[in-house]
Order: sequence, then C-alpha cells, then structure tokens
Amino acid sequence: MAELLEIKNLSVSFDTPQGELQAVRDVSFSLHAGEVLALVGESGCGKSVLCKSIMKLLHGNARITGGSILVDGVDITNYRQRDMERLRGRLFSMVFQDPMATLNPTISIGEQIAEAVRVHHPKMEREAVYQRVMELMKLVGITEPEQRYRQYPYHFSGGMRQRSVMAIALASNPKILLADEPTTSLDVTIQAQILDLLRDIQQKLGTATIFVSHDLGVVARIADRVAVMYAGKIVEIGTAEEIFYDPRHPYTWALMRSLPAFAREGEELYTIPGMPPTMIDLPPGDAFASRNEYALAIDYEEMPPMFQISDTHYAATWLLDERAPKITPPMGGDFHG
Amino acid sequence: MNRKNPYVYYGKKILIFLLSVLLLSVVIFYVARLAPGDPLVSYYGDRVEKMSMAEREWAEENLGLNDPIHVQYLRWLQNALKGNFGISFKYKTDVLEVIGGRLVNTLILGGIGFVLIFVLALGLGILCAWHEEKWLDKLICKVGTIISCIPEFWLSLILILIFAIYLRWLPSSSAYSIGKAKDISDRILHLILPMTIVVGSHLWYYAYMIRNKLLEEVRAEYVLLAKSKGLDKKSILFRHCLRNIIPSYLSIMAISVPHILGGTYIIETVFSYPGIGTLSYESARYQDYNLLMLLCILSGAVVILCNIIAQTINEHIDPRMRENESIETTEVTEIG
Repeated sequence: MAELLEIKNLSVSFDTPQGELQAVRDVSFSLHAGEVLALVGESGCGKSVLCKSIMKLLHGNARITGGSILVDGVDITNYRQRDMERLRGRLFSMVFQDPMATLNPTISIGEQIAEAVRVHHPKMEREAVYQRVMELMKLVGITEPEQRYRQYPYHFSGGMRQRSVMAIALASNPKILLADEPTTSLDVTIQAQILDLLRDIQQKLGTATIFVSHDLGVVARIADRVAVMYAGKIVEIGTAEEIFYDPRHPYTWALMRSLPAFAREGEELYTIPGMPPTMIDLPPGDAFASRNEYALAIDYEEMPPMFQISDTHYAATWLLDERAPKITPPMGGDFHG
Repeated sequence: MNRKNPYVYYGKKILIFLLSVLLLSVVIFYVARLAPGDPLVSYYGDRVEKMSMAEREWAEENLGLNDPIHVQYLRWLQNALKGNFGISFKYKTDVLEVIGGRLVNTLILGGIGFVLIFVLALGLGILCAWHEEKWLDKLICKVGTIISCIPEFWLSLILILIFAIYLRWLPSSSAYSIGKAKDISDRILHLILPMTIVVGSHLWYYAYMIRNKLLEEVRAEYVLLAKSKGLDKKSILFRHCLRNIIPSYLSIMAISVPHILGGTYIIETVFSYPGIGTLSYESARYQDYNLLMLLCILSGAVVILCNIIAQTINEHIDPRMRENESIETTEVTEIG
C-alpha cells in the first residue's frame, strides 16, 4: 500500500537578487496514516518552507527544483493552484505560527470557520453549517461557542485564536495536518494546553500530523517519529525513541545538549557554536561541518549519504561509515541507563 | 456604547460638523479681509480710481467695510444664520442666486466624475492585482503613470485641439449650446471632454493605490490560512482582501473629494464651464467677499462632511473601530 504522503528528493529554491537560495535540499521522507512526525531544527533550516511547499503555499519567487510529492501514490508535484484548491482543506490543511496574524481581522470567528466548512460543501444548508461550526468549536475547546461565533479575532486571546485556527484547519476532516510551530508564539502555560489539545484531537480523529518545532522538549511530548533538519536537509530521521535515546548525528547531539533539561547544575547551558550557514552558495560537503566538533576531513569535501541504522532510523553523517573513528557520543546511550 | 444610542452617536457627529464649519468661516473671513486688494474694485469697477477720499469713505461705509473685522464677522454671521448671505459685489444680486445655477453644473461634472473615478479605480485596481506582474497589469500601470503626469490643463487643450478643432466631433467649451439649456443630449455632448479629463487625470492614482493595497493584503498571513482551507483566488481576493482595504479606500476617497474638486475647478476654467470653479476663481480675484465666503464655506463643508461620512462608514465596516470603547465588556480570557 502506498504511503499517505511521500516526499522524494524534494528541493525548493527561492530566486533572490543575491542568487538562488536553496531552502530545501534533497529531502525524502514519508508520513504514515495516523502518525505524528516532528520536523525539528533551528530557525531558517527550511522546516516551514518544506511544509508550505507541500501545500504549494509559497509565493512566486519560490519553486520546486527537483523531486516529487506523492499523496496516496499520486504525484501532485506539478499540480496547478486550481487543482491544489480542491486538495487543500480536505486532504491537508495547516496551522500556522502566529494566530494573531492568521485570522482575518474583519470577519467574525464563526464566519471564518463556517467558510472553511462550506468550501468543500457549497450546497450545505445554513443550519447544518452552523451545527458543524458548533461541533468544531467544541472539539477545539472553545467554550460558549454560540456567543463566540459572532465575535471577532480581536476579542480572542492568543490561545483561543490558535484554537479557532485549528477548528478552521479541521473543518473538512483533512487526512494530514501540517502544524507549523503552532505553539511558538504563545506563552508557556497556553503552549502546553494547545499541545495537549493537538495530541487529543490527533488521537480522536486519527489525523496524520507533521509537527514543526525548534523545541525538542515539545517534540518529545507529541511525536511518534522525528526528523531533524539542518540547512535544508534532513540529517537524521527515526522513531522518537531512536532519536531521543540513540541519536547518531552530531547535530542532534548538539540540539539535545542545548536543552535546559539536560544541563547539569553549576554548568553553563551548552550552545551550538557558530551560526547556521546562509543558504545561498552553500559550501561543499556537510553544511554542519564548520560547527561540528566531531567533523572529519571528508565532511568538508563530500556530502554524507543517509546511513541506515535500523529499519526506521537513518542519519547522514560520515561518523557512521565503517572506516570512521569510533567516538563516544555525548548524548544518547547513557541516558536511559 | 455608542451604537446603542444612535441619537447621541449621530448628534455628536453633527455637532462636530457644525463647529468645524463655524471655525472655518472665522478663518476664511479673516484671511479674506487681510489679503491685499481692493474690494471696491469689484463693486464699482474702474470708477474707483476716479473716486475722491470722501466718496471712497462713503462707499466703504455703505458696504460695511469700515468696521473692525470682528464686528463685520458678527454682522455677517447674524445675517447668515437668517439665510441672508449678502450680495455679490460684482453681480449686485444675492449670492445664493449667483451660485444657484452654477452649483448644479459643478455637481454634475464633479459628482458624476467622482463616482466614475471611484468605481473605475476599484475595478482597475482589482484587475491589476489579479494579473499581478503580468502584461495587462504592467500596461495599465505604465499608461496610468504617464497620463497622470500630464498636467490637466495641457491635456485639456490637446483634447480640445483634437476633438473640437480638427475632428469637430465635440464642442470645446461651456455646458450647453446657446438656447439649449434643457437639451440633455446637448449637455452630455458638452460634458464628454471635461469629464474625460476629470476622470482620466485622477483615476490612475487611486487605481494604483487599490492595486498596491490589495497586493499587500494578498501577502498577509491570513491569506495563507484562507488558502490552506481550500478557498479559491476569487473568494480570497473579494471576500477577504477587499474587505480589509475598503475602509481605508473609503476614507481616502472621502479625503480625495477636495483633490478632485480642485481638479474640477481648473478644468472648468479651461473649458469655460459655468460652474463653481470659475466663480471661485473670479470671486477670489475681485475680492467679492460675500461670494468668496459662501463658496469657501460650501467647499469646506463638503470636505468636512465627506471626512465625517468616511469615518462613519469606517466604523460600520471595521468592527475594531466600532467597539473600541466597549472592549472591556467582551474581553475574553483563556479558559483551560
């Protein structure tokens, strides 16, 4: 059986005055029905662009330069906007980072949800649409939906807005939900609520979810599988267990070491040295090499291929080559004792 | 909450309007009288030069020009409140009578022109935004830039030259042929050239503004959500984006009334179109105080009224402006 969503060697570039910016480079992964896949990486590593390119939400200066996107085995890479309109909402929909900006300020919340209900059911009766909106608002935990229906986004707090955005995203029962840092712009207590809600709904409806985050702590709460991205590439992918207990890529190690939860008392919190590379004119070899304390000479010359560690676990680092020196990772192994 | 009591809401706006007009009248009255020039010239014509000092004094006394300005103003105000705006020095009749017929002419030219500009600019702007950066958009933007850079009076002369003199299709001046004041088709024929200039010279600026505002909206975050729920381009542009720019468009169009009005005045002069524009020009030139006063207050009142209307429309379209006084009653808190 075909995977629900399969990305094969996808590359996305932006044309900028400075040259071609390679935001996503040769990314492959698949999403199984009903699972939560987390995309993790620093800001600007191409996570959001990857999501938006799947739904073709990118602006004119972005283009897919290679690879393909398959849904249930059907190649949608060359679909035009008109074809995409029929898929959006029904096949996949998206929750965005900033709920302050993603709702139209001049249309009432209820109307915006109702619009999402009607998009794929234009002949639905008014009353049925209203009932469906009530159902959705209750599903995402908006209390007193009858009153809230007529209110405008500016009446709503950030968390409530994000709930509304989720109601909109779920309106047509999508098979895939792309959540692009849905909790990043919320304050911490609300973050946890939205995260729990996302997990609840995901389990209730069985919606396959791609969850984008830069926060490994958040990811640990929600993900079945984790893909770590760096400079537009997936550098390591595996089940949550594999990534958290047996990470293999030096970048994944670095990300984990910089989590406050792993810091020891009296020690300064680890930060990854250097800056992420600019995505225009990337150096040859592994883009992480210059920040990597375990970098080998070959890392500066040749891009590492994906090494298979188990059926589900892959990592792109020369350290996994059999000729590489054996090193003791600073993370993993010893954590689960 | 102001919406619950329309009397208070609209009463307040009317009061603001009246106060603004009153203030405007004071300013115009003083500025007009402090400006250099001899108002007697407009009343007596060339005879003024031959007048003796005593005669001058008598004439000024007779027209009430000798008193201190504030006394003159109060007298004017008293009469004005009774509906008596004085006589025109030049035409020697009631100013209302002088303005009467010409006001209609200007309203026809400016009013229809304004509506055309408003509708066409919206249409063109949407058309350009829809075809963003395609040839149609580029063509409209380029043509518009060129035309709006040409001065109105020069363009008027060129059009007169082409259509009235070489081709002899259209009349070159006035609002109607002599003796045909009630002939509508004749009036329309006379309107075509000045109307083309009024619309053609202002249209592009507003169309371009609509285009840019729409394109700004199209890049807003909420459009991504609207797209991702499956809405098509048409619904997004018309239902989401347009709704967000209409309030600012309305207020800009309301503020643009004096701009378009000013343009109409110039065009009236070029086409010898008997409207308020030509009259204002004359009255300012000849220090015809009463006429000038009334014309300025009329124009000013239109501007103030348009601003107030714009604000009212804004408040009805944009929910945030409507309820900003009552937010505390509806503030929502997060319930976990």
